[in-house]
Amino acid sequence: MPKVGTYRANSVIYFQGDQGDKIFVLQRGKVSLNYNDIETGKLIREIIQTGEFFGVKSALGRYPREENAVVLEDANVLAFTVPEFEAFSMSNTRIIIKMLKVFSNQLRHIHKQVENLMENPTAVNAEIGLFKTGEYYLRNRMYSQARYVLGRYLTYYPAGKMAEPAGRYLESAEAALARYGDGKGPAPLVGSQASAQASTQAANQSRQDITAEAPPKAASAQIRPTDGAGLSDVAKEYYNAVSLFSQEKYQDALKNLKRIVDLGEESEYVAKAEFDMGRCLFALGQWDLSIKHFTAIVQNAPKHPDMGDILYIMGQSWDRKGDKARAKAFFTKVLSMPGDDDSSARIKAKKALNAMGGA
Amino acid sequence: MADLAGFSRFARTYHEGELIFSEYEPGDSFYLIQAGRVRITKIVGDIEKNIDILSAPEIFGEMAILEGAPRSATAIAEETVKVLEFNRANFEILMMGNPQIALRLLKVFTKRIYDQKRRFMILTLDDPQAKIADVFLMLDETQGSMNQGDIGGDKREFKVTVDDVAHWAGMNPAEVQSLLGHFSNQRRVELYADHIVVKNINDFIRFVNSKRKK
Repeated sequence: MPKVGTYRANSVIYFQGDQGDKIFVLQRGKVSLNYNDIETGKLIREIIQTGEFFGVKSALGRYPREENAVVLEDANVLAFTVPEFEAFSMSNTRIIIKMLKVFSNQLRHIHKQVENLMENPTAVNAEIGLFKTGEYYLRNRMYSQARYVLGRYLTYYPAGKMAEPAGRYLESAEAALARYGDGKGPAPLVGSQASAQASTQAANQSRQDITAEAPPKAASAQIRPTDGAGLSDVAKEYYNAVSLFSQEKYQDALKNLKRIVDLGEESEYVAKAEFDMGRCLFALGQWDLSIKHFTAIVQNAPKHPDMGDILYIMGQSWDRKGDKARAKAFFTKVLSMPGDDDSSARIKAKKALNAMGGA
Repeated sequence: MADLAGFSRFARTYHEGELIFSEYEPGDSFYLIQAGRVRITKIVGDIEKNIDILSAPEIFGEMAILEGAPRSATAIAEETVKVLEFNRANFEILMMGNPQIALRLLKVFTKRIYDQKRRFMILTLDDPQAKIADVFLMLDETQGSMNQGDIGGDKREFKVTVDDVAHWAGMNPAEVQSLLGHFSNQRRVELYADHIVVKNINDFIRFVNSKRKK
């Protein structure tokens, strides 16, 4: 049971720096909490109202008292031990909620004071920090983690300094996850060189209008297979085509991809090659052919794993042709597809719709 | 255990390896673990450091109470994890019916307020060496902290790196490295790859007190 203590005026219930395990409620009289403001050093006197708790934080948090509790007029004070206070609070939720509100306000206030003192406020660095976190996961072949973080980056900073490399990394992460699985496959980024490159690129990029969509890169542009060890001939041919694509040799890439499709040997690579053929056509500025090619895929393989990207590029193609209404319809379709909210296709489609003025 | 049957609309499930949130991501929700373990990590330099492993009924992400503050660490599901997800707008609903959780959150807040105040004290020191020394005092004061290893007498061992100290002191790591080098030359600290030893914690207390404005 909590005990009632009687204190005379001018006595002190506890001193700053005391180790205290009691929580108090003022029942009668007048008590002031005196302390120096940590920012200005000014002496603050906080008058406790009857029925009000004090000494809560230091008792619950087990740290030294932060103020002198001085009795101004004769007072009756109820003292709880921490276990007593805990038992009491179980049937007095409203008091706890009230304290939560007070404490969360205090936390906000002190947090702001700390932020003001930091040379580099964390909010400013958050954008780059988020990008680097995604890059770290990609470099360490934690593809699903990389996908999450980079997706978040593009959600929060669609026109950010790192939006362009983040988009590319996101595609790499998705491709590597689909092809190799988490923790497997060749390292998509090597050491800090890739990081340095990306940063320089981003610096160059930052002046440009980043919302203008660059031609989409092949999903696996960043992946360099290790000397083809363990890969079938079809796979090697496919990666060769992807490599040509990343060198912007679209005609050559298209030829190689068509050969894989015509051969029709490994269905996995046939599907990938078919998809990338459409990307080549788009990159070559053949909007009509790109649309025709993708329409065929949509009709023959409505459950194609890259459907989001297919619809997105079709939208882009219509947009380039100047048919805004159709472009908009395709982007909207990407967004209405069930599944992962953070897929790169959805993020890009959202961006495209915003750029067109209104989702 | 609290009665949480009515809160299924706040329930979320994460699978092994899935990120619940990422360091630096703006956060607006906090989480109460119902089942499974959650790993809290931070990428420091080029290493992903484990900060903590949490399990039911612990709370994490509570700094989301601060509007727009970026997450200070990453939360990853260590196995299949069930959580209740809350935000500033709806946490009161949960707390009203669940005083145990409210009390737990209250304790978490008292700890965070203290941490931030202590941090403020470090940052308001003018002398850079005193800032670094005060980081060690703060780590030493934090009871039950994982960072602290009391190895008898005045000697203390801290499981921290130069980058950690720089983070707490709000200084750049290169400067901290150089100043810690001075301390090391004076034989006041010993520097290791994964920990730092303070030879005499009382020496640091006196030093910081002499630099703090009254």
